[in-house]
Amino acid sequence: MQVFKLCLKVLKKNKATMLIYIVVFLVVSLIMSSAMTKDEQADNLFIQKKSNIAFISQENSPLIDGLKNELEKVANFVELPDEKEALQDALYFRSVSYILRIPKGFTESFMKGENVQLEKTTVPDSLSNTYIDLCIDNYLNNARLYVQHVGDISQESLVLHLKSDLSVNTSVELKTKSDKAQNHIYANYFFNYMAYSLLSVLILGMTALMLVFYDNNLRRRNACSPVSARSMNLQFILASLLFTVFTWMIMVIFCLLYNLDNSFNLNTVYFLINSLVFAVCGASISFLIGNLVKSANAISAISNVVTLGLCFISGVFVPVEFLGDSVLRIASFTPTYWFVNANNRIAELTEFNFSNIEPILSCMLIQLGFALAFFVVALVISKRRRFE
Amino acid sequence: MFAHIFINRLKCLLRDRETIFWTMMFPLLLAVFFNMALLNVNNDEMFKAIDIAVVDDSSYQSDRHFKAALDEASKGDGRLFNLTVTSKDNADELLNENKIAGYIVVEEPIKLVVNKSGINQAIVKSFIDSYMQTASSVNSILFEKPNAQQELVSSLNERQQYVKEVSATNAEPNNVLNYFYTLIAMACMYGCFFGMREASDIQADISPLAARVNISPVHKLKAFIYSFCASLILHLFEIFILLMFLRFVLGVDFGPKTGYVILTSVLGSITGVSFGAFVSAIVKKSENIKIAILLGVSMTGSFLAGMMYQNMKYIVAQNVPVLSYLNPVNLLTDAFYSLYYYDTFSRYALNIGFLCIFIVVFSFGTYLIIRRRKYASL
Amino acid sequence: MIIKVKNLVKRYGDLIALDHLSLSVNEGEVFGLLGPNGSGKTTAINCILSLLKYDKGEIEIFGQPMTPDAYNIKRDIGIVMQNVAVYNELTVYENIDYFCGLYVQDKKLRKKLVDEAIDFVELSEFTKFYPKKLSGGLLRRLNIACGIAHKPKLIILDEPTVAVDPQSRNRILEGILELNRQGATIIYTSHYMEEVEQICSRIMILDKGKAIATGTKDELKAMISMGEKITVETYSLSEEQLSRLRRLPNIASAEYKNQTLEIKSNKGQHNLETILEFIKKEGIRFGKIYSEMPTLNDVFLEITGKGLRD
Repeated sequence: MQVFKLCLKVLKKNKATMLIYIVVFLVVSLIMSSAMTKDEQADNLFIQKKSNIAFISQENSPLIDGLKNELEKVANFVELPDEKEALQDALYFRSVSYILRIPKGFTESFMKGENVQLEKTTVPDSLSNTYIDLCIDNYLNNARLYVQHVGDISQESLVLHLKSDLSVNTSVELKTKSDKAQNHIYANYFFNYMAYSLLSVLILGMTALMLVFYDNNLRRRNACSPVSARSMNLQFILASLLFTVFTWMIMVIFCLLYNLDNSFNLNTVYFLINSLVFAVCGASISFLIGNLVKSANAISAISNVVTLGLCFISGVFVPVEFLGDSVLRIASFTPTYWFVNANNRIAELTEFNFSNIEPILSCMLIQLGFALAFFVVALVISKRRRFE
Repeated sequence: MFAHIFINRLKCLLRDRETIFWTMMFPLLLAVFFNMALLNVNNDEMFKAIDIAVVDDSSYQSDRHFKAALDEASKGDGRLFNLTVTSKDNADELLNENKIAGYIVVEEPIKLVVNKSGINQAIVKSFIDSYMQTASSVNSILFEKPNAQQELVSSLNERQQYVKEVSATNAEPNNVLNYFYTLIAMACMYGCFFGMREASDIQADISPLAARVNISPVHKLKAFIYSFCASLILHLFEIFILLMFLRFVLGVDFGPKTGYVILTSVLGSITGVSFGAFVSAIVKKSENIKIAILLGVSMTGSFLAGMMYQNMKYIVAQNVPVLSYLNPVNLLTDAFYSLYYYDTFSRYALNIGFLCIFIVVFSFGTYLIIRRRKYASL
Repeated sequence: MIIKVKNLVKRYGDLIALDHLSLSVNEGEVFGLLGPNGSGKTTAINCILSLLKYDKGEIEIFGQPMTPDAYNIKRDIGIVMQNVAVYNELTVYENIDYFCGLYVQDKKLRKKLVDEAIDFVELSEFTKFYPKKLSGGLLRRLNIACGIAHKPKLIILDEPTVAVDPQSRNRILEGILELNRQGATIIYTSHYMEEVEQICSRIMILDKGKAIATGTKDELKAMISMGEKITVETYSLSEEQLSRLRRLPNIASAEYKNQTLEIKSNKGQHNLETILEFIKKEGIRFGKIYSEMPTLNDVFLEITGKGLRD
């Protein structure tokens, strides 16, 4: 077991380095998961998230007041001066995501039945802005109906009508299986994010170990010893797996601690299994990289491409819904995609019957398949390198 | 002497093919991945029809208007829904298996049954809300003007859009750009590895090569600066390749102020390389630890600048604004974005100003440490 | 005097590495610095070169005080260090050219010097090789070339023949002598006493940061009381004969082990004759017989009580 002990010693010697990596990536994971979770509707009540908007009107009228009141259902108003720079800054820093301007003469033209428009300046890609658009359009379209078909209707009366019309609300029944509805949003994000954090730590850590162990001179000396190559490799693999599991455990423990309330269920078990499978896959990837590349700079660069790049196309940072089909098809040739796929499914799991579990299991099997493939390729490369 | 040291250093750097290849390729590869992932973020046509069901009971069948509205929304190519008309039990089953986002029960008011509150559910609810609110308006109008029915129908079909987008600046606010700008900023910070080597190679207590240089009649600081220039030029070259790739191959928009974009890249490169030299000079431990620190800081900086999760940038800006000025990656990202988005230079100047402060701190710090010519131990 | 060092003191915390060391090197000498590992040879060299901070002392080279800024002095110094310090990414030629270029800016002159240096160390067939592909001996030769290409007046070599094959080693030693003949003053540190004995004109022996003996080879050997060591192979020697042998004049010690008789005699003439006469008189049959003069190792042993190679 000498080789095994040696590997452990090398790892221990580098513990400061490993610690820096683990801490950095862990902290980033925790912050990110919290931030993303808060963003989503984490409550079980059907509450739409309110955006911050600036309501700048160049005139006053009951119609406009009515619109403003209606908008309060979906927005928070932020007072901003009507100056270009202040408005630009506000959008830039996202203190508002929507600026609504009502031009002078709007009310009069509208009440005459003319087709006038309001101006908006927005931060694109903000979903809550859609609600605002919808709200405004609803209000004004319904108002238009009145204006067109009930001639001479006064603004006050119009506003009153609209108020009651628009107070009609769909009733929503939220069905959940368990009494204590648990949400797995945080865990979903955290475990998805592990595709970045855990993989980075594994690559950086294992390649550091490999650079020492696979250094040419040491390798030649080891090759002459009476310990068989097979035994040496096995011991090395054992040490690497130990490191992998250890890192995995640390990350997972923190996730569980942070999210304790939501953790005592079967979903968590599946999350854990899935992430362990991915960790093994990650170890295999690291092994491959360590065999391919020898310079430390190159390793940092590759690790970045592999972790960040794959995460981007697999739905870790940009949600899967937004990724095009061709992108997803390419991503499906990487283990990260299947890992994320499984995680997303696990987060939704409420019934643990076989038809629900089966796709998750196949994702895990695919990951293991990748692990094996990478490992074999790495072995082939390493054998060829041996005789350099 | 400058040419001699500069050219030899450049030779050394260029011959480390592995490093050059990967440090040049990695931002390009990442850019390609980003591009793939972000293609559709700004694209509205990405919308996929939502799967829903409606319970086929007598109330549903008798509410002709609603039935018609649903059917209308569920047919054609740009349709909102994929509608299944079925029994309540079947609908429940479909919901359990997550095959539908929710199902509708026609009651007073119309009810929506879901098992989670996500985007799709919100869209369905909005649709129903819209319908019911309009129905309420129609009813009040008809109450006052019973004959208006015909005209109402045609009015209903002429739904208007009352809001038009007006941009505040010459450029459209664009979320996708931020990702690419953070990528450039990160690539600049990765110059730290070059800087790290420069600092190591001039300190005689770390490198025997440095001892030779220390003994030669060349002024140590001059030797360092000339050598540093070689690393800087090489890194700058890599950044330019990245910029050109982004601009001409991926079509990323930098705005019209090209000269300033180049200036920003140069400053970014200097920041990165000097950062590496600084950390390498200060941290007297092994090379692995230095690399870990450099990587850790770069990645954290990139994260806080919004590379992985865009909103992070704004969360930081709103909660801990000091941090957004202390993060060189963020400063660089913002500098690029200011050039694109704003007409004036005030925000750009602010970012660049802070960046220059960083450059001065890193350079001066490195200078203070490496200028030592006699060591306590070798 | 090319180098003058007075009262050099260097401490590492509580440990005194150099203890009031004074030495001087004259022009044209090959000055050897001898001592076991840890005696302070490299430390002394580094202090002299102003690489290392020292606590006390004065150092003058070429008659001027030595400081890190003394570029005019540095121009005429060449150093070949213990660690091979070359760039792995540059070829043999490029390495020598680079280091020479730090001293000599004129391109034409430099080219000439570099070519001469390559011929000198006999690396002409390897100019396009990269250091990784060179064997230990060749690498050392490259190391030397990088240090002396600019034809300095003072050359300091710090253990240049560690891990070098005998051919290369001989070449190196000859080369150093040639450099000396061409006018360079040489400081040579080593713990291989045969080399030092071979090429150095004056030698200083260091131990624990102190100079314990200085002088030419012969002066050093004269410092000790030991004379030759005579070894006799004989198959029979009785205790009585042994004790009688011991009582002969000028015999320091005599040991008989494994059919070999080792006699250490004190300084003096005719020691061998005396012993031969004794053997003949006693009728002792012998096989081989040989005598060795004391070596520097013996000098060191006697002065310090321990060997040079630990």
